[in-house]
Amino acid sequence: MQTDKELFDLIKNTYPLNPSEDFVSTTSNILKKRARKLNRKSRIKYLSFVTSGLALCTFAFSWFFFYGGKDDVLNNLNTHGEEKSLISVAEQEPLIYIYQSHNLESFFTETQTKDANEAFHETQNITLVGERLSQSLKERGINAIHDKTNITEILNENNFSFSETYSVSREPLNATLENNKSIKMVFDIHRDSRKRKDTTVKLKGIDYSKVVFLVSGSSSNSKENIKFAERLHNRMVEKYPRLSRGVIVTDNQDKQNTYNQDLLDNSVLLEIGGVENTLQEEYRTADILAEIIQDILNES
Amino acid sequence: MNSFDDIEVRIIEIYNQHYLDVYRFLICFTGSQNDAEDLTQEVFIRVLNNLPNFNAGNIKTWIFSIAKHAAIDHYRKKKYSSIFGEGFFKRIVSTEKETLELVEQKELKKLVHTAISKLKPSFRAVVILRGINEFSIKETSEILKCSESKVKVDYHRALKELKKKLDLNTEEVMGNAN
Repeated sequence: MQTDKELFDLIKNTYPLNPSEDFVSTTSNILKKRARKLNRKSRIKYLSFVTSGLALCTFAFSWFFFYGGKDDVLNNLNTHGEEKSLISVAEQEPLIYIYQSHNLESFFTETQTKDANEAFHETQNITLVGERLSQSLKERGINAIHDKTNITEILNENNFSFSETYSVSREPLNATLENNKSIKMVFDIHRDSRKRKDTTVKLKGIDYSKVVFLVSGSSSNSKENIKFAERLHNRMVEKYPRLSRGVIVTDNQDKQNTYNQDLLDNSVLLEIGGVENTLQEEYRTADILAEIIQDILNES
Repeated sequence: MNSFDDIEVRIIEIYNQHYLDVYRFLICFTGSQNDAEDLTQEVFIRVLNNLPNFNAGNIKTWIFSIAKHAAIDHYRKKKYSSIFGEGFFKRIVSTEKETLELVEQKELKKLVHTAISKLKPSFRAVVILRGINEFSIKETSEILKCSESKVKVDYHRALKELKKKLDLNTEEVMGNAN
C-alpha cells in the first residue's frame, strides 16, 4: 500500500506530537522540587555519616592515648608487620607501568558479537585486566601506575589511522617515565584474537587465559627486552606449566613497530588470553602475573 | 557534596533533552495526550529517583526502557477500559469545522489509531521506537532487553500486520462508499 516512511508520517500526523507548554513547565518544576528534596535527604544521611565518623575517631583517640590502647596497637602492628597496607603501598615509589594500547579490546562474553574484529566495548574491555594486574601488584606491596587513557577515542577524535596507536599511547608513557625514575618495568596489555583452544589452559581443573610475551626486534634495546621476557616466561612455566605460550620477537624488517619498548629496558607487550576467554579467566592469569613480577623484582 | 548539588541541575538537563522524545513515544503508544503527559511525568520522576544508581551506559536507552515499562503498565491497567474507544477523536471532530476534506482526514486518523491500538504492546513498542523515535536496531534491543534479531523479526511482523490492517480498513471504507 505505502512505503514505510509514508506510514510513519501518517502515524505522526495522527497524534498531537507536542505536549502542552503548560505541562512542560509544570513537570520541570515538579522535578526541581523533588530533586531538592532528594538533596536534603542525602545531606542528612551524609551529615549523620560524618558525625558518627567523628564520634568514632574521638573514641579511638581517647582509647589510644588514655586507656593504654597504644600498646595493644603496637603489638598488633608488630605481629602483622609484614602485611603492608594498601595505603602505604600507594605512598611508595611506583615500580611498574601498565597500559593498554588497544584499550577497547573486549571479549565475546562481554559483547554481543561473535566476530573478533567487532569485539570492542567502551567499559568491559582489556583495561579491566590491566586494572586487575595493578590491584594484584598493590596487594603484594608493589606500587604500580595503571594508565587508563582511552587511546581509541583519541585516534577517532583526531582521525588518526590505526597504525598511529603506539604514538598516541607513547605520550602518557613517556611523561610518566620522565616523572617517575623509579619505574623498572613496562607492560602493554592486549588480548589475542585466536581460538579458545589456543588461548586457554586447564591447571588443576581451573581454566586460565594463556599468556604470550611479544618483544619488538626493532628497538635499540631489544636484547634487554628479550632477556626480560624470557625471564618472565621461564619463571612462569616453572610454577605454572603451559600457562605461557612463549616469547615472540616480531621483526618485520624496517616496518617493524617498536611498541614503545625503546623507552625503557624491561618493556614487554603481553597478550593475555584471547577474545573467547572470560574476564574471570583473564583475572586469574593477571593475579599469577603479579606473583611472577614480584618474584623477578625480588631476584634483582 | 558536589554530587548532591548536581542532581537538580542534572535532572533538568536530562529532562529538557529527552522529554519530547519520551512524550512522542508515549502519545503514539497510548493515543491520548492526557495519558501521555501523565506518563511522561511519571517516567522522569522514576529517572530522578534512580539517577544515583545509574552510572554507566547509554542514558537515552535507559530512559526509554523506563518509558516502555510505564507504557506497558499503563496498557495492562487500562486493558479492559476504554482507552481504545473513539472518544478522543470524536471530541476533536465535533469542535472543528467539518469540511469534507477535514472529515476525510479525521477518518484516516481514526483508522490509523485503531490499527495501532490493535497491535499487541510489544509490537507497538518496537514499531514506535524504530519508526517514530528512529532508534537503531542495537539501541532498540537495549531498550527492550532482547536480542537484535528479535527486534528485526518483531519489527517486520508488526509493520506487516499494521499495513494489512490499514489496507483492509481502507478497502472496507471504499466498499461502504460504493
